Amino acid sequence: MADTITEPTTDTVLEVRNLRSGYGTVPVLNGITFDVRNEIFTILGSNGAGKTTLLATLARLIPVMDGSIHVQGQDVSNMPAYSTARLGVGYVPQESAVFPDLTIMENLSIGAMIGKRSTEERLEEVFDTFPDLRTKTHLRAGNLSGGESRMVACGRALMQDPQLLLLDEPTAGLSPLYVEQFFETIELIHKTRNVAVLLTEQNATKALGIADRVMVLSLGEGSEPLDAGDVTTERLKEAYKL
Amino acid sequence: MLDWLDAFLISGFFGVLQIIGLGLLVHLQMGLSRVANFGVAGFWGLGLYVFGVLYIKVDWPFGDPFQFLICAFLATVASGLAGLLVAWLIADLDVDGALVGTLGFATVVLILATTQTELTGGATGLGGMRFPYDLGPAKTNEFVWVLITTVLVGAILLYVRWVHRSPYGRLLIAVGTNEPLARSLGKSTTRAKLTLFATTSALMGLLGAMQGVMFRFLNPATITINITLAALAGLILGGITRVWGAVVGVLFTVGLFDIVIQFYAPLPQEWFTQAIPVAREAVFGAALVLVLLFRPKGLLGEMKRPQLMRRIHDFN
Ligand SMILES: Nc1ncnc2c1ncn2[C@@H]1O[C@H](COP(=O)(O)OP(=O)(O)O)[C@@H](O)[C@H]1O
Ligand SMILES: [Mg+2]
Repeated sequence: MADTITEPTTDTVLEVRNLRSGYGTVPVLNGITFDVRNEIFTILGSNGAGKTTLLATLARLIPVMDGSIHVQGQDVSNMPAYSTARLGVGYVPQESAVFPDLTIMENLSIGAMIGKRSTEERLEEVFDTFPDLRTKTHLRAGNLSGGESRMVACGRALMQDPQLLLLDEPTAGLSPLYVEQFFETIELIHKTRNVAVLLTEQNATKALGIADRVMVLSLGEGSEPLDAGDVTTERLKEAYKL
Repeated sequence: MLDWLDAFLISGFFGVLQIIGLGLLVHLQMGLSRVANFGVAGFWGLGLYVFGVLYIKVDWPFGDPFQFLICAFLATVASGLAGLLVAWLIADLDVDGALVGTLGFATVVLILATTQTELTGGATGLGGMRFPYDLGPAKTNEFVWVLITTVLVGAILLYVRWVHRSPYGRLLIAVGTNEPLARSLGKSTTRAKLTLFATTSALMGLLGAMQGVMFRFLNPATITINITLAALAGLILGGITRVWGAVVGVLFTVGLFDIVIQFYAPLPQEWFTQAIPVAREAVFGAALVLVLLFRPKGLLGEMKRPQLMRRIHDFN
Protein backbone atom coordinates (compact mmCIF):
# COMPACT_ATOMS: atom_id res chain seq x y z
CA MET A 1 0.00 0.00 0.00
CA ALA A 2 2.57 2.56 -1.08
CA ASP A 3 1.75 5.79 -2.81
CA THR A 4 -1.53 5.09 -4.57
CA ILE A 5 -2.22 8.59 -5.79
CA THR A 6 -0.60 8.12 -9.18
CA GLU A 7 -1.59 4.46 -9.36
CA PRO A 8 -4.07 4.05 -12.22
CA THR A 9 -7.25 3.04 -10.46
CA THR A 10 -6.65 -0.60 -9.64
CA ASP A 11 -10.18 -1.07 -8.41
CA THR A 12 -11.74 0.08 -11.67
CA VAL A 13 -14.82 -2.03 -12.28
CA LEU A 14 -15.88 -0.43 -15.53
CA GLU A 15 -13.74 1.31 -18.10
CA VAL A 16 -15.43 3.07 -21.01
CA ARG A 17 -13.33 4.57 -23.81
CA ASN A 18 -14.59 6.72 -26.70
CA LEU A 19 -17.80 4.79 -26.75
CA ARG A 20 -20.07 5.33 -29.72
CA SER A 21 -23.38 3.58 -30.07
CA GLY A 22 -26.93 4.18 -31.18
CA TYR A 23 -29.73 2.75 -33.24
CA GLY A 24 -29.24 1.53 -36.79
CA THR A 25 -26.41 3.58 -38.24
CA VAL A 26 -27.25 6.78 -36.34
CA PRO A 27 -25.08 7.24 -33.26
CA VAL A 28 -26.67 8.61 -30.09
CA LEU A 29 -23.47 8.50 -28.04
CA ASN A 30 -20.53 10.25 -29.67
CA GLY A 31 -17.45 9.06 -27.84
CA ILE A 32 -18.00 8.71 -24.10
CA THR A 33 -15.08 8.10 -21.78
CA PHE A 34 -15.21 7.40 -18.03
CA ASP A 35 -14.29 4.90 -15.34
CA VAL A 36 -16.35 3.54 -12.51
CA ARG A 37 -14.59 2.33 -9.36
CA ASN A 38 -16.20 0.87 -6.28
CA GLU A 39 -18.47 3.89 -5.86
CA ILE A 40 -21.86 5.31 -6.72
CA PHE A 41 -21.40 6.98 -10.07
CA THR A 42 -24.29 9.02 -11.42
CA ILE A 43 -24.95 9.97 -15.01
CA LEU A 44 -26.98 13.18 -15.12
CA GLY A 45 -28.87 14.11 -18.22
CA SER A 46 -32.15 15.47 -19.40
CA ASN A 47 -34.75 13.56 -21.35
CA GLY A 48 -33.32 12.17 -24.57
CA ALA A 49 -29.70 12.77 -23.56
CA GLY A 50 -28.82 9.14 -24.17
CA LYS A 51 -28.79 7.74 -20.62
CA THR A 52 -30.86 4.68 -21.49
CA THR A 53 -28.83 4.13 -24.64
CA LEU A 54 -25.61 4.26 -22.61
CA LEU A 55 -26.76 1.76 -19.97
CA ALA A 56 -28.24 -0.62 -22.54
CA THR A 57 -24.95 -0.47 -24.45
CA LEU A 58 -23.00 -1.23 -21.27
CA ALA A 59 -25.34 -4.18 -20.62
CA ARG A 60 -24.45 -5.23 -24.21
CA LEU A 61 -27.99 -5.02 -25.49
CA ILE A 62 -27.07 -2.38 -28.09
CA PRO A 63 -24.04 -2.95 -30.35
CA VAL A 64 -20.90 -0.92 -29.88
CA MET A 65 -20.11 1.17 -32.99
CA ASP A 66 -16.73 2.34 -31.85
CA GLY A 67 -14.59 2.53 -28.73
CA SER A 68 -14.45 -0.05 -25.96
CA ILE A 69 -16.02 -1.25 -22.74
CA HIS A 70 -14.00 -3.17 -20.16
CA VAL A 71 -15.61 -4.87 -17.18
CA GLN A 72 -13.19 -6.03 -14.48
CA GLY A 73 -10.40 -5.59 -17.00
CA GLN A 74 -12.06 -7.75 -19.66
CA ASP A 75 -13.06 -6.33 -23.01
CA VAL A 76 -16.78 -6.89 -23.38
CA SER A 77 -17.26 -4.69 -26.48
CA ASN A 78 -18.04 -7.73 -28.60
CA MET A 79 -19.41 -10.00 -25.92
CA PRO A 80 -23.04 -11.12 -25.83
CA ALA A 81 -25.16 -9.75 -23.00
CA TYR A 82 -25.25 -13.05 -21.13
CA SER A 83 -21.45 -13.31 -20.94
CA THR A 84 -21.26 -9.74 -19.71
CA ALA A 85 -23.80 -10.58 -17.01
CA ARG A 86 -21.57 -13.48 -15.99
CA LEU A 87 -18.71 -11.02 -15.45
CA GLY A 88 -20.85 -9.39 -12.78
CA VAL A 89 -22.99 -6.79 -14.50
CA GLY A 90 -26.53 -6.52 -13.14
CA TYR A 91 -28.85 -4.41 -15.26
CA VAL A 92 -32.12 -2.77 -14.21
CA PRO A 93 -33.71 -1.06 -17.22
CA GLN A 94 -35.85 2.05 -16.94
CA GLU A 95 -38.96 0.40 -18.37
CA SER A 96 -40.28 -3.18 -18.44
CA ALA A 97 -37.80 -4.18 -15.79
CA VAL A 98 -39.70 -7.21 -14.50
CA PHE A 99 -41.17 -10.27 -16.20
CA PRO A 100 -44.90 -9.60 -15.80
CA ASP A 101 -46.12 -13.21 -16.17
CA LEU A 102 -43.79 -14.52 -13.48
CA THR A 103 -44.38 -14.16 -9.76
CA ILE A 104 -42.12 -12.06 -7.56
CA MET A 105 -40.40 -15.21 -6.36
CA GLU A 106 -39.80 -16.36 -9.91
CA ASN A 107 -38.56 -12.93 -10.95
CA LEU A 108 -36.03 -13.09 -8.15
CA SER A 109 -35.07 -16.74 -8.67
CA ILE A 110 -34.40 -16.18 -12.35
CA GLY A 111 -31.54 -13.90 -11.32
CA ALA A 112 -29.85 -16.83 -9.58
CA MET A 113 -29.13 -18.82 -12.75
CA ILE A 114 -25.52 -17.67 -12.51
CA GLY A 115 -23.19 -17.63 -9.55
CA LYS A 116 -22.28 -20.20 -6.95
CA ARG A 117 -24.11 -19.26 -3.77
CA SER A 118 -27.38 -20.98 -2.99
CA THR A 119 -30.61 -19.35 -4.14
CA GLU A 120 -31.97 -19.41 -0.58
CA GLU A 121 -29.00 -17.50 0.78
CA ARG A 122 -29.35 -14.82 -1.89
CA LEU A 123 -33.11 -14.59 -1.45
CA GLU A 124 -32.67 -14.08 2.28
CA GLU A 125 -30.38 -11.11 1.59
CA VAL A 126 -32.75 -9.60 -0.97
CA PHE A 127 -35.64 -9.87 1.50
CA ASP A 128 -33.45 -8.18 4.13
CA THR A 129 -32.87 -5.35 1.67
CA PHE A 130 -36.49 -5.14 0.50
CA PRO A 131 -38.58 -6.46 3.43
CA ASP A 132 -41.83 -5.51 1.65
CA LEU A 133 -41.26 -8.29 -0.88
CA ARG A 134 -41.02 -11.09 1.66
CA THR A 135 -44.76 -11.57 2.12
CA LYS A 136 -45.70 -11.00 -1.52
CA THR A 137 -43.60 -13.62 -3.25
CA HIS A 138 -46.59 -15.32 -4.87
CA LEU A 139 -47.91 -12.17 -6.57
CA ARG A 140 -47.74 -11.78 -10.32
CA ALA A 141 -45.10 -9.14 -11.08
CA GLY A 142 -47.28 -7.61 -13.80
CA ASN A 143 -49.78 -6.49 -11.17
CA LEU A 144 -47.35 -4.62 -8.93
CA SER A 145 -47.13 -0.88 -8.36
CA GLY A 146 -44.27 1.12 -9.86
CA GLY A 147 -42.33 1.13 -6.60
CA GLU A 148 -42.79 -2.57 -6.03
CA SER A 149 -41.68 -3.50 -9.54
CA ARG A 150 -38.60 -1.36 -9.07
CA MET A 151 -37.78 -3.31 -5.91
CA VAL A 152 -38.33 -6.62 -7.69
CA ALA A 153 -36.16 -5.57 -10.62
CA CYS A 154 -33.43 -4.36 -8.32
CA GLY A 155 -33.74 -7.52 -6.22
CA ARG A 156 -33.42 -9.67 -9.32
CA ALA A 157 -30.24 -7.86 -10.33
CA LEU A 158 -28.87 -8.41 -6.80
CA MET A 159 -29.67 -12.12 -7.09
CA GLN A 160 -27.03 -12.19 -9.84
CA ASP A 161 -24.40 -11.29 -7.21
CA PRO A 162 -23.18 -8.40 -9.37
CA GLN A 163 -19.95 -6.42 -9.06
CA LEU A 164 -21.52 -3.55 -10.98
CA LEU A 165 -25.15 -2.54 -10.81
CA LEU A 166 -26.57 -0.52 -13.71
CA LEU A 167 -29.72 1.33 -12.62
CA ASP A 168 -31.56 3.35 -15.25
CA GLU A 169 -33.49 6.18 -13.56
CA PRO A 170 -34.33 3.96 -10.60
CA THR A 171 -36.67 6.48 -8.97
CA ALA A 172 -38.40 7.98 -12.00
CA GLY A 173 -42.12 8.26 -11.38
CA LEU A 174 -41.94 7.30 -7.70
CA SER A 175 -43.53 9.45 -5.00
CA PRO A 176 -41.02 11.72 -3.14
CA LEU A 177 -41.18 9.62 0.01
CA TYR A 178 -40.37 6.47 -1.93
CA VAL A 179 -37.54 8.23 -3.78
CA GLU A 180 -35.65 9.03 -0.61
CA GLN A 181 -36.14 5.55 0.74
CA PHE A 182 -35.00 3.97 -2.51
CA PHE A 183 -31.84 6.07 -2.67
CA GLU A 184 -31.06 5.09 0.93
CA THR A 185 -31.48 1.45 -0.04
CA ILE A 186 -29.13 1.90 -2.98
CA GLU A 187 -26.51 3.43 -0.70
CA LEU A 188 -26.95 0.55 1.72
CA ILE A 189 -26.56 -1.98 -1.09
CA HIS A 190 -23.38 -0.27 -2.24
CA LYS A 191 -21.87 -0.20 1.24
CA THR A 192 -22.85 -3.61 2.55
CA ARG A 193 -22.37 -5.59 -0.64
CA ASN A 194 -19.33 -3.80 -1.92
CA VAL A 195 -20.94 -3.39 -5.31
CA ALA A 196 -20.23 -0.49 -7.66
CA VAL A 197 -23.36 1.37 -8.73
CA LEU A 198 -23.80 3.25 -11.99
CA LEU A 199 -27.13 5.04 -12.06
CA THR A 200 -28.77 7.62 -14.26
CA GLU A 201 -30.91 10.51 -13.10
CA GLN A 202 -32.53 13.61 -14.55
CA ASN A 203 -32.71 15.65 -11.38
CA ALA A 204 -29.34 17.06 -10.27
CA THR A 205 -30.37 17.69 -6.65
CA LYS A 206 -31.62 14.15 -6.19
CA ALA A 207 -28.54 12.69 -7.82
CA LEU A 208 -26.00 14.69 -5.82
CA GLY A 209 -27.43 13.44 -2.55
CA ILE A 210 -26.33 9.91 -3.23
CA ALA A 211 -23.48 10.04 -5.75
CA ASP A 212 -19.74 9.90 -5.14
CA ARG A 213 -19.13 11.26 -8.61
CA VAL A 214 -21.35 12.58 -11.36
CA MET A 215 -20.98 12.93 -15.09
CA VAL A 216 -23.29 15.03 -17.19
CA LEU A 217 -24.47 13.51 -20.44
CA SER A 218 -25.61 15.99 -23.01
CA LEU A 219 -26.00 15.80 -26.78
CA GLY A 220 -24.36 12.41 -26.82
CA GLU A 221 -21.21 13.56 -25.07
CA GLY A 222 -20.09 13.18 -21.48
CA SER A 223 -18.59 15.85 -19.26
CA GLU A 224 -15.47 15.36 -17.19
CA PRO A 225 -16.63 13.35 -14.12
CA LEU A 226 -16.93 15.59 -11.05
CA ASP A 227 -16.67 14.69 -7.38
CA ALA A 228 -20.13 15.17 -5.99
CA GLY A 229 -18.76 17.33 -3.18
CA ASP A 230 -17.19 19.78 -5.62
CA VAL A 231 -20.24 20.29 -7.75
CA THR A 232 -21.48 23.85 -7.94
CA THR A 233 -24.24 25.33 -10.06
CA GLU A 234 -21.62 26.94 -12.32
CA ARG A 235 -19.78 23.71 -12.90
CA LEU A 236 -23.02 21.93 -13.62
CA LYS A 237 -24.10 24.59 -16.11
CA GLU A 238 -20.72 24.33 -17.75
CA ALA A 239 -21.07 20.57 -17.95
CA TYR A 240 -24.52 20.90 -19.44
CA LYS A 241 -22.98 23.32 -21.98
CA LEU A 242 -25.57 25.89 -21.09
CA MET B 1 -62.73 -59.41 -26.87
CA LEU B 2 -63.03 -55.81 -28.00
CA ASP B 3 -66.29 -56.35 -29.85
CA TRP B 4 -67.88 -53.30 -28.24
CA LEU B 5 -65.19 -51.13 -29.73
CA ASP B 6 -65.77 -49.60 -33.13
CA ALA B 7 -62.65 -49.65 -35.30
CA PHE B 8 -63.31 -46.10 -36.43
CA LEU B 9 -63.76 -44.98 -32.85
CA ILE B 10 -60.26 -46.27 -32.10
CA SER B 11 -58.78 -44.22 -34.90
CA GLY B 12 -60.86 -41.18 -33.91
CA PHE B 13 -59.49 -41.44 -30.42
CA PHE B 14 -55.97 -41.92 -31.72
CA GLY B 15 -56.32 -38.75 -33.80
CA VAL B 16 -57.41 -36.77 -30.75
CA LEU B 17 -54.40 -38.06 -28.81
CA GLN B 18 -52.04 -37.05 -31.59
CA ILE B 19 -53.42 -33.52 -31.77
CA ILE B 20 -53.28 -33.17 -27.98
CA GLY B 21 -49.64 -34.25 -28.05
CA LEU B 22 -48.81 -31.76 -30.79
CA GLY B 23 -50.82 -29.02 -29.04
CA LEU B 24 -48.88 -29.59 -25.80
CA LEU B 25 -45.59 -29.22 -27.64
CA VAL B 26 -46.70 -26.09 -29.55
CA HIS B 27 -47.76 -24.71 -26.18
CA LEU B 28 -44.13 -24.76 -25.07
CA GLN B 29 -43.07 -23.00 -28.26
CA MET B 30 -45.81 -20.41 -28.61
CA GLY B 31 -47.28 -20.21 -25.12
CA LEU B 32 -44.03 -19.96 -23.17
CA SER B 33 -41.25 -18.66 -25.40
CA ARG B 34 -43.66 -17.10 -27.93
CA VAL B 35 -41.91 -18.40 -31.01
CA ALA B 36 -44.56 -18.84 -33.70
CA ASN B 37 -44.71 -22.27 -35.32
CA PHE B 38 -47.00 -22.77 -38.28
CA GLY B 39 -45.04 -25.76 -39.45
CA VAL B 40 -46.20 -28.36 -36.91
CA ALA B 41 -47.33 -30.64 -39.74
CA GLY B 42 -43.79 -30.48 -41.16
CA PHE B 43 -42.00 -31.68 -38.03
CA TRP B 44 -44.66 -34.32 -37.41
CA GLY B 45 -44.74 -35.33 -41.09
CA LEU B 46 -40.96 -35.57 -41.26
CA GLY B 47 -41.05 -38.02 -38.36
CA LEU B 48 -43.83 -39.99 -40.02
CA TYR B 49 -42.01 -40.22 -43.35
CA VAL B 50 -38.53 -40.84 -42.00
CA PHE B 51 -39.98 -43.61 -39.88
CA GLY B 52 -42.02 -45.12 -42.71
CA VAL B 53 -39.35 -44.95 -45.37
CA LEU B 54 -36.67 -46.41 -43.10
CA TYR B 55 -39.01 -49.13 -41.88
CA ILE B 56 -40.08 -50.20 -45.34
CA LYS B 57 -37.13 -49.46 -47.61
CA VAL B 58 -34.23 -50.54 -45.44
CA ASP B 59 -33.44 -54.20 -45.15
CA TRP B 60 -32.98 -54.38 -41.39
CA PRO B 61 -31.01 -57.37 -40.09
CA PHE B 62 -33.31 -57.63 -37.08
CA GLY B 63 -37.06 -57.71 -36.69
CA ASP B 64 -39.54 -55.96 -34.42
CA PRO B 65 -39.62 -54.53 -31.88
CA PHE B 66 -36.01 -53.46 -32.62
CA GLN B 67 -36.84 -52.41 -36.14
CA PHE B 68 -39.56 -50.16 -34.78
CA LEU B 69 -37.38 -48.77 -32.02
CA ILE B 70 -34.48 -47.95 -34.35
CA CYS B 71 -36.71 -46.36 -37.00
CA ALA B 72 -38.72 -44.38 -34.43
CA PHE B 73 -35.50 -43.23 -32.81
CA LEU B 74 -34.08 -42.05 -36.14
CA ALA B 75 -37.36 -40.31 -36.98
CA THR B 76 -37.20 -38.52 -33.63
CA VAL B 77 -33.62 -37.46 -34.26
CA ALA B 78 -34.42 -36.27 -37.80
CA SER B 79 -37.28 -34.07 -36.61
CA GLY B 80 -35.17 -32.80 -33.73
CA LEU B 81 -32.37 -31.79 -36.09
CA ALA B 82 -34.89 -30.14 -38.41
CA GLY B 83 -36.26 -28.23 -35.41
CA LEU B 84 -32.75 -27.13 -34.51
CA LEU B 85 -32.10 -25.93 -38.06
CA VAL B 86 -35.41 -24.08 -38.40
CA ALA B 87 -35.00 -22.49 -34.96
CA TRP B 88 -31.50 -21.36 -35.88
CA LEU B 89 -32.87 -19.75 -39.05
CA ILE B 90 -35.75 -17.97 -37.31
CA ALA B 91 -34.13 -17.30 -33.89
CA ASP B 92 -33.70 -13.59 -34.44
CA LEU B 93 -36.70 -12.98 -36.67
CA ASP B 94 -40.00 -11.46 -35.60
CA VAL B 95 -43.36 -13.28 -35.68
CA ASP B 96 -43.77 -12.75 -39.42
CA GLY B 97 -40.36 -14.21 -40.11
CA ALA B 98 -41.00 -17.18 -37.85
CA LEU B 99 -44.35 -17.75 -39.55
CA VAL B 100 -42.84 -17.79 -43.02
CA GLY B 101 -39.89 -19.93 -41.93
CA THR B 102 -41.93 -22.64 -40.21
CA LEU B 103 -44.67 -22.69 -42.82
CA GLY B 104 -42.01 -22.88 -45.52
CA PHE B 105 -40.40 -25.85 -43.80
CA ALA B 106 -43.72 -27.72 -43.63
CA THR B 107 -44.29 -26.99 -47.32
CA VAL B 108 -40.87 -28.38 -48.20
CA VAL B 109 -41.62 -31.59 -46.28
CA LEU B 110 -44.96 -31.95 -48.04
CA ILE B 111 -43.40 -31.35 -51.46
CA LEU B 112 -40.62 -33.87 -50.79
CA ALA B 113 -43.14 -36.46 -49.61
CA THR B 114 -45.13 -35.97 -52.78
CA THR B 115 -42.33 -35.75 -55.32
CA GLN B 116 -39.72 -38.22 -54.07
CA THR B 117 -41.80 -41.05 -55.51
CA GLU B 118 -38.92 -43.55 -55.42
CA LEU B 119 -38.68 -43.29 -51.67
CA THR B 120 -42.11 -42.26 -50.49
CA GLY B 121 -44.50 -43.60 -53.09
CA GLY B 122 -45.53 -40.04 -53.87
CA ALA B 123 -49.18 -39.16 -53.96
CA THR B 124 -50.28 -42.79 -54.12
CA GLY B 125 -48.50 -43.47 -50.88
CA LEU B 126 -46.55 -46.38 -49.48
CA GLY B 127 -47.69 -49.24 -47.28
CA GLY B 128 -46.00 -52.03 -45.39
CA MET B 129 -45.53 -50.86 -41.83
CA ARG B 130 -46.53 -53.21 -39.02
CA PHE B 131 -47.20 -53.08 -35.33
CA PRO B 132 -44.02 -53.95 -33.45
CA TYR B 133 -45.97 -56.81 -31.81
CA ASP B 134 -48.73 -59.19 -32.81
CA LEU B 135 -51.53 -59.86 -30.37
CA GLY B 136 -53.95 -61.37 -32.86
CA PRO B 137 -56.80 -59.36 -34.34
CA ALA B 138 -56.01 -55.99 -35.89
CA LYS B 139 -58.39 -54.31 -33.51
CA THR B 140 -56.52 -55.60 -30.46
CA ASN B 141 -53.22 -54.44 -31.92
CA GLU B 142 -54.66 -51.00 -32.59
CA PHE B 143 -56.20 -50.79 -29.14
CA VAL B 144 -52.87 -51.58 -27.50
CA TRP B 145 -51.18 -49.01 -29.74
CA VAL B 146 -53.66 -46.39 -28.58
CA LEU B 147 -52.80 -47.27 -24.99
CA ILE B 148 -49.08 -46.94 -25.71
CA THR B 149 -49.69 -43.58 -27.41
CA THR B 150 -51.77 -42.45 -24.42
CA VAL B 151 -48.78 -43.18 -22.20
CA LEU B 152 -46.53 -41.19 -24.54
CA VAL B 153 -48.90 -38.21 -24.60
CA GLY B 154 -49.25 -38.47 -20.82
CA ALA B 155 -45.47 -38.35 -20.57
CA ILE B 156 -45.45 -35.26 -22.79
CA LEU B 157 -48.00 -33.65 -20.45
CA LEU B 158 -45.77 -34.42 -17.46
CA TYR B 159 -42.79 -32.98 -19.33
CA VAL B 160 -44.74 -29.78 -20.03
CA ARG B 161 -45.63 -29.52 -16.35
CA TRP B 162 -42.02 -30.07 -15.39
CA VAL B 163 -40.86 -27.36 -17.81
CA HIS B 164 -43.33 -24.90 -16.26
CA ARG B 165 -41.82 -25.48 -12.83
CA SER B 166 -38.18 -25.59 -13.85
CA PRO B 167 -35.70 -22.72 -14.12
CA TYR B 168 -35.52 -23.58 -17.83
CA GLY B 169 -39.25 -22.92 -18.22
CA ARG B 170 -38.92 -19.66 -16.34
CA LEU B 171 -36.19 -18.64 -18.76
CA LEU B 172 -38.44 -19.54 -21.70
CA ILE B 173 -41.24 -17.36 -20.30
CA ALA B 174 -38.73 -14.57 -19.74
CA VAL B 175 -37.56 -14.90 -23.35
CA GLY B 176 -41.17 -14.82 -24.50
CA THR B 177 -42.13 -11.66 -22.67
CA ASN B 178 -38.93 -9.60 -22.78
CA GLU B 179 -36.04 -11.13 -24.66
CA PRO B 180 -33.61 -8.20 -24.27
CA LEU B 181 -34.04 -8.29 -20.51
CA ALA B 182 -33.75 -12.08 -20.50
CA ARG B 183 -30.41 -11.77 -22.31
CA SER B 184 -29.00 -9.83 -19.37
CA LEU B 185 -29.65 -12.73 -16.98
CA GLY B 186 -26.52 -14.66 -17.82
CA LYS B 187 -27.91 -17.44 -20.02
CA SER B 188 -27.95 -17.50 -23.81
CA THR B 189 -31.52 -16.95 -24.91
CA THR B 190 -30.71 -18.20 -28.40
CA ARG B 191 -29.49 -21.48 -26.94
CA ALA B 192 -32.66 -21.75 -24.85
CA LYS B 193 -34.79 -21.34 -27.98
CA LEU B 194 -32.72 -23.80 -29.99
CA THR B 195 -32.89 -26.40 -27.22
CA LEU B 196 -36.63 -25.90 -26.97
CA PHE B 197 -37.18 -26.33 -30.69
CA ALA B 198 -34.90 -29.34 -30.92
CA THR B 199 -36.67 -31.21 -28.11
CA THR B 200 -40.24 -30.27 -29.00
CA SER B 201 -39.71 -30.97 -32.71
CA ALA B 202 -38.10 -34.30 -31.87
CA LEU B 203 -41.19 -35.28 -29.87
CA MET B 204 -43.40 -34.16 -32.76
CA GLY B 205 -41.38 -36.52 -34.95
CA LEU B 206 -41.90 -39.35 -32.48
CA LEU B 207 -45.66 -38.72 -32.57
CA GLY B 208 -45.39 -38.90 -36.37
CA ALA B 209 -43.73 -42.31 -36.12
CA MET B 210 -46.56 -43.48 -33.83
CA GLN B 211 -49.00 -42.37 -36.52
CA GLY B 212 -47.09 -44.42 -39.11
CA VAL B 213 -47.52 -47.60 -37.11
CA MET B 214 -51.20 -46.97 -36.44
CA PHE B 215 -52.17 -46.45 -40.07
CA ARG B 216 -49.41 -48.59 -41.64
CA PHE B 217 -49.47 -46.29 -44.64
CA LEU B 218 -47.72 -43.13 -45.83
CA ASN B 219 -49.90 -40.61 -47.59
CA PRO B 220 -48.99 -36.97 -48.22
CA ALA B 221 -52.64 -35.98 -47.66
CA THR B 222 -52.15 -36.65 -43.91
CA ILE B 223 -49.33 -34.15 -43.45
CA THR B 224 -51.05 -31.00 -44.65
CA ILE B 225 -51.63 -27.76 -42.76
CA ASN B 226 -54.86 -29.24 -41.35
CA ILE B 227 -52.77 -30.92 -38.65
CA THR B 228 -51.15 -27.61 -37.73
CA LEU B 229 -54.48 -25.82 -37.67
CA ALA B 230 -56.14 -28.47 -35.51
CA ALA B 231 -53.32 -28.30 -32.95
CA LEU B 232 -53.27 -24.50 -32.94
CA ALA B 233 -57.05 -24.07 -32.80
CA GLY B 234 -57.30 -26.52 -29.90
CA LEU B 235 -54.45 -24.91 -28.03
CA ILE B 236 -55.66 -21.33 -28.47
CA LEU B 237 -59.19 -22.35 -27.55
CA GLY B 238 -58.08 -24.09 -24.37
CA GLY B 239 -55.53 -21.47 -23.35
CA ILE B 240 -52.19 -21.07 -25.08
CA THR B 241 -50.28 -20.36 -21.87
CA ARG B 242 -51.83 -23.14 -19.77
CA VAL B 243 -50.43 -26.61 -19.16
CA TRP B 244 -53.85 -28.20 -19.76
CA GLY B 245 -54.85 -25.77 -22.52
CA ALA B 246 -54.18 -28.14 -25.40
CA VAL B 247 -55.93 -31.04 -23.66
CA VAL B 248 -59.11 -29.09 -22.92
CA GLY B 249 -59.14 -27.25 -26.25
CA VAL B 250 -58.53 -30.30 -28.43
CA LEU B 251 -61.21 -32.30 -26.59
CA PHE B 252 -63.67 -29.49 -27.25
CA THR B 253 -62.81 -29.26 -30.95
CA VAL B 254 -61.38 -32.38 -32.54
CA GLY B 255 -62.74 -34.57 -29.76
CA LEU B 256 -66.24 -33.17 -30.06
CA PHE B 257 -66.38 -33.67 -33.81
CA ASP B 258 -64.31 -36.77 -34.44
CA ILE B 259 -65.61 -38.75 -31.48
CA VAL B 260 -68.82 -37.38 -30.00
CA ILE B 261 -70.62 -36.20 -33.12
CA GLN B 262 -69.08 -38.81 -35.38
CA PHE B 263 -70.11 -41.75 -33.23
CA TYR B 264 -72.82 -40.70 -30.87
CA ALA B 265 -74.87 -38.05 -32.64
CA PRO B 266 -77.99 -39.52 -34.29
CA LEU B 267 -77.41 -37.81 -37.62
CA PRO B 268 -78.23 -39.10 -41.10
CA GLN B 269 -75.39 -41.19 -42.48
CA GLU B 270 -74.83 -39.06 -45.61
CA TRP B 271 -74.11 -35.98 -43.46
CA PHE B 272 -70.91 -37.54 -42.24
CA THR B 273 -69.32 -37.63 -45.67
CA GLN B 274 -70.39 -34.18 -46.80
CA ALA B 275 -71.83 -31.74 -44.27
CA ILE B 276 -69.90 -32.70 -41.14
CA PRO B 277 -66.32 -32.22 -42.43
CA VAL B 278 -67.25 -28.76 -43.69
CA ALA B 279 -69.17 -27.89 -40.53
CA ARG B 280 -66.18 -29.10 -38.52
CA GLU B 281 -63.81 -26.54 -40.02
CA ALA B 282 -66.46 -23.79 -39.85
CA VAL B 283 -67.23 -24.49 -36.20
CA PHE B 284 -63.52 -24.60 -35.31
CA GLY B 285 -63.10 -21.21 -36.95
CA ALA B 286 -66.20 -19.73 -35.31
CA ALA B 287 -65.27 -21.13 -31.89
CA LEU B 288 -61.83 -19.62 -32.24
CA VAL B 289 -63.24 -16.21 -33.15
CA LEU B 290 -65.70 -16.31 -30.24
CA VAL B 291 -63.08 -17.35 -27.73
CA LEU B 292 -60.63 -14.72 -28.91
CA LEU B 293 -63.37 -12.09 -28.68
CA PHE B 294 -64.77 -12.98 -25.29
CA ARG B 295 -62.00 -14.88 -23.60
CA PRO B 296 -58.79 -13.93 -25.37
CA LYS B 297 -56.61 -16.03 -23.08
CA GLY B 298 -58.59 -19.17 -23.92
CA LEU B 299 -61.15 -21.18 -21.95
CA LEU B 300 -58.77 -21.78 -19.05
CA GLY B 301 -57.66 -18.16 -18.95
CA GLU B 302 -54.32 -16.69 -18.10
CA MET B 303 -51.28 -18.54 -16.82
CA LYS B 304 -51.54 -19.17 -13.07
CA ARG B 305 -47.98 -19.18 -11.87
CA PRO B 306 -48.62 -19.06 -8.08
CA GLN B 307 -50.50 -22.36 -8.14
CA LEU B 308 -47.96 -24.01 -10.39
CA MET B 309 -45.08 -22.79 -8.32
CA ARG B 310 -46.57 -23.44 -4.89
CA ARG B 311 -43.39 -25.18 -3.82
CA ILE B 312 -41.09 -22.21 -4.24
CA HIS B 313 -43.59 -19.76 -2.75
CA ASP B 314 -43.70 -21.78 0.42
CA PHE B 315 -40.09 -20.78 0.88
CA ASN B 316 -40.82 -18.72 3.99
N1 LIG C 1 -35.20 2.32 -30.01
C1 LIG C 1 -34.78 3.50 -30.50
N2 LIG C 1 -34.65 3.67 -31.84
C2 LIG C 1 -34.19 4.84 -32.34
N3 LIG C 1 -33.87 5.90 -31.59
C3 LIG C 1 -33.98 5.80 -30.26
C4 LIG C 1 -34.44 4.59 -29.64
N4 LIG C 1 -34.45 4.77 -28.31
C5 LIG C 1 -34.03 6.03 -28.10
N5 LIG C 1 -33.74 6.64 -29.26
C6 LIG C 1 -33.23 8.01 -29.40
O1 LIG C 1 -31.98 8.09 -28.77
C7 LIG C 1 -31.85 9.30 -28.06
C8 LIG C 1 -31.50 9.03 -26.62
O2 LIG C 1 -32.57 8.34 -26.00
P1 LIG C 1 -32.44 7.70 -24.57
O3 LIG C 1 -31.16 6.96 -24.49
O4 LIG C 1 -33.67 6.95 -24.29
O5 LIG C 1 -32.37 9.00 -23.64
P2 LIG C 1 -32.63 9.16 -22.09
O6 LIG C 1 -32.67 7.80 -21.47
O7 LIG C 1 -31.50 9.97 -21.60
O8 LIG C 1 -33.93 9.89 -21.93
C9 LIG C 1 -33.16 10.04 -28.23
O9 LIG C 1 -32.99 11.02 -29.23
C10 LIG C 1 -34.13 8.99 -28.68
O10 LIG C 1 -35.07 9.54 -29.56
MG1 LIG D 1 -34.03 6.90 -20.37
